[in-house]
Amino acid sequence: MQSLALLELNSLLAVSIQAERLPFADWLTNSIFVAALLTVGILYLASKATNKMTLVPHPAQNAFEAVVDVLYTQIEAIVGKHVAPKVFPLLATIFIFVLISNWSGLIPGVGTVGWGEGTAWMTVKHVSVPVFRGPTADLNLTLGIAAVFMVVWGAITIQEVGVMGFLKHTFEPKGGMKGVMGAFVALVFFMVGIIELVSIAFRPLSLSLRLFGNMYAGETLLHTMGAIGDKWGGIGAFLAAIIFPIPFYFMELLVGLLQAMVFVLLCSVYIKLSTAHDEEHH
Amino acid sequence: MEIAQEIAQNFGLEWPKFIAQVLIFGIVYFVLKQKAFGPILSMLEVRRKHIEELEADRKKVKEKLAAAENEAKELRLAADKEASRLIEEARASANALREKKTQEATAEAGQIIAKAREATQMEREQAFAELRRDFGRLLVDTTGRVTGKVLTKSDQDAINEEAAAQIAI
Repeated sequence: MQSLALLELNSLLAVSIQAERLPFADWLTNSIFVAALLTVGILYLASKATNKMTLVPHPAQNAFEAVVDVLYTQIEAIVGKHVAPKVFPLLATIFIFVLISNWSGLIPGVGTVGWGEGTAWMTVKHVSVPVFRGPTADLNLTLGIAAVFMVVWGAITIQEVGVMGFLKHTFEPKGGMKGVMGAFVALVFFMVGIIELVSIAFRPLSLSLRLFGNMYAGETLLHTMGAIGDKWGGIGAFLAAIIFPIPFYFMELLVGLLQAMVFVLLCSVYIKLSTAHDEEHH
Repeated sequence: MEIAQEIAQNFGLEWPKFIAQVLIFGIVYFVLKQKAFGPILSMLEVRRKHIEELEADRKKVKEKLAAAENEAKELRLAADKEASRLIEEARASANALREKKTQEATAEAGQIIAKAREATQMEREQAFAELRRDFGRLLVDTTGRVTGKVLTKSDQDAINEEAAAQIAI
């Protein structure tokens, strides 16, 4: 049951903050629908790229290899040679899935074709339930990806340094001081460790909200720019709906790439921080 | 807790949607990990090794080429040296032959000159003998005509001897 404040908020927003349920399948939201379509697309392209691989690559294989090579080099540079093979598949999947999801919101028809108050045949006054919605403009997906990452992060951290190693790394006082000063430093490091644990607990939220916020803001911005000339009506509104969003499309292309990179870089850094102690011994 | 629930509700967070998205992402992750990243990374590794092998082969070929070039250079130097030696020998041999031929020619020329000189001397002596004879005969004839008497054999011989002695002088 939606609260009154939410209903008021949604009526003011150009794009609903929630993914909408599709009228023909109440159990399905438009963002899950698009995520499923993108999954099929990604898996098809990956299958095409990895089918009949040769030492001299065919075009699809070459493109996929280039992406994998660049990503592996970047991730290995951050997490180290030892951990890279273990975390690469997850981080690469996050990058590819998030990037394509971000850019899918820019495909014409996404967010603009759907159901609403009809004014004529095949025409609505305002699309209240779009058929398609960029998956990363839904907090369920971004939080889901962050949750999966945190589970894998926890597993790899325990695998690499162990539970005691992690606790030691988090709470152990550094500097080698003894006596009263040592006790004081130990207390400070204990408090820092508590803060670190809280920070770790909030990582899924910070990761998911950053991505969701940026992509949702982008969709809202494009929608607003597209509707800025509506009050003029006729040809003026038509031209305004074409011209005004164009610069923001380019910006959103950049933002989509940037957010995918930021998400993966932060994940890599989190892994590096928790496995750094072990990595040094290898 | 209620606040958290309200925030989650405001953002449309629902367990079924959340689980569905996690499943979708999980499927992509699993399939890409098993079917795409593994084979691609293996292929990149195979290619890297192949390139390393080619690079090693290239280095070997380069080293062999350098060795062959050195060998060729040494052979060229040896051939140059041998050629110089042969030229020097040929030159020395030619000089010796020329010297020998020159000496032979000189000796032959000397012989020819000596023979010519000898022949000339003989011809001159022969000419002198003829001249003396002719002169003696002429003198005998002249003396006979001047004196008006017939000279005897001993007179003629005496005149001839005297004339020959005068010519020889």
